[in-house]
Amino acid sequence: MNDECVIGLADVRKTFRDFWLRPTVNAVDGLSLTVRRGEVFGLLGPNGSGKSTTIKMILGLLAPSGGRVSLFGLSPRSVEARRRLGYLPELSYLHPFLTAKETLRYYAGLCGLGRREAKERTRQLLEMVGLSDVASRPVGGFSKGMSRRVALAASLVGRPELLVLDEPTSGLDPISTKEVKTLVKALAKGGMTILTTSHLLADAEDICDRVMILNHGKCVAEGNVAELGTSLEEFFLAKVGDADDFRLAPFLSK
Amino acid sequence: MRGIASVAKATALEILSEPLTLLVLLAALTLAVLAPAFHYHQFGEATRMARDAGFSALFTCGSVVAVFGTIRAFRREIESGTAQMALSHPVSRGGFFLAKATGAFVAYLAFAATVFGTSLAVVEGARVGGVVASRTGDIARLSGPFLAAGVAVMLVPLLLGAALNRFARFRFVLTSMVTALVLAFAAGGTSAALDSALLPRYAPVAALLVPTGLLLLSASAAFAVRFKANVAAASVGVLAALCVPAVGNYYMADALSNGGTVSWAYVALASLAAMPAVAAFALLGLRFMGGRDLS
Repeated sequence: MNDECVIGLADVRKTFRDFWLRPTVNAVDGLSLTVRRGEVFGLLGPNGSGKSTTIKMILGLLAPSGGRVSLFGLSPRSVEARRRLGYLPELSYLHPFLTAKETLRYYAGLCGLGRREAKERTRQLLEMVGLSDVASRPVGGFSKGMSRRVALAASLVGRPELLVLDEPTSGLDPISTKEVKTLVKALAKGGMTILTTSHLLADAEDICDRVMILNHGKCVAEGNVAELGTSLEEFFLAKVGDADDFRLAPFLSK
Repeated sequence: MRGIASVAKATALEILSEPLTLLVLLAALTLAVLAPAFHYHQFGEATRMARDAGFSALFTCGSVVAVFGTIRAFRREIESGTAQMALSHPVSRGGFFLAKATGAFVAYLAFAATVFGTSLAVVEGARVGGVVASRTGDIARLSGPFLAAGVAVMLVPLLLGAALNRFARFRFVLTSMVTALVLAFAAGGTSAALDSALLPRYAPVAALLVPTGLLLLSASAAFAVRFKANVAAASVGVLAALCVPAVGNYYMADALSNGGTVSWAYVALASLAAMPAVAAFALLGLRFMGGRDLS
């Protein structure tokens, strides 16, 4: 790991508005963070805490309402910055009419890979995610776990320097979850910078070097996993609050 | 450039794979091949009627494919989230928009080529048929086989598409479309020749029943491939497209029926007239696409 800043957010805010431009939700409120080259950074928080919104601003899919976002020192909308990035969304967004092979070739084309290179890269990745046998089947008929693997392979097509994973183990069975975690660790070992979100704390604890905990769009804690002095779950509950204590208490007492 | 080509190719494939496209294509081919039969009196202008029917099918059904295919391709890309995946790769928003539009245009060209080719075959068939009818006189006994052949021409692509989809995992709609194109070229001339020769003896009810049955058949086939609620949207689209005045159609049909070709001046004028609209829509699309939050 070195100190080169791969992702930088400075006092970033995002307010969603309705049709009449009235503010509806303050999804992210004054967030600042830095992800350095080679680290595995975890963005944690309960549902609705602003993790996915933050990631989409980093990817240039959402425009921040205030503050500054940079990706490799460039604007996230810049094609040059996105050339060095791979993204696995929370839900595997794939064209159902394309086969697994065609899907990866499609993304290889988006990354500017030549025909021969795209073919070879597709073969490698399908083998890596264990889908070589079903490469010619349309992804519309795949199970959630299989679609997740195709999406993961698609995020790696362009040999990215930065991999952004939004809930990477969402919807996967325990074996597939373990495989994904092993893969993430291997990629990190190979020097790839990884930004991941999760609300599964055990997963985050396994793979992250550093974490930031978000709640209601704000950073409530940040630190190195190795230096927490407690389990990530205890740390998280101390910062965000225990559901039994706060939300469920009135129901449990009845 | 490769990124743009990838998006354009996937978009064209998506639109051509749509059951809606197959449905409209079948409707267009039915119109082009059988519409001359609707006219009980031809006043000796079978070829002109065939040409008019072909152009009308091309313009009305083509409008449905162009409008609905493009809107659905864009809307689905944004709503399903695949646009997020694509735009997290090194492709600009403007490039993505133009690539989608190019793909939709390529799909429309493929559709137009199929209908246009069939129309040319029908026109030629009508010309030959007129000659045959004048020489042979009464050939009404051929009406049964003709109807059977017409239905077969439309059924074979669907059955072949279904079989190839079942046993070889070929795409149902694309296979059906390609087969329909081949058969339309092969059989269009023959059937249209018989068609125009039979016209004076043709029962109007049968002529109406055949395309209606074919449309119902294609709708059933479309349901079989999970067409779902799009039939309602397609019906509205067809009605809307029928209301669109295809002025250019009549100019072009007139020019061709007068024995001449469409002059380059006409093509240039039509292009000049279309350009401001294309530019305005492209700028509007780029503006919306550039500023849109993809959440």
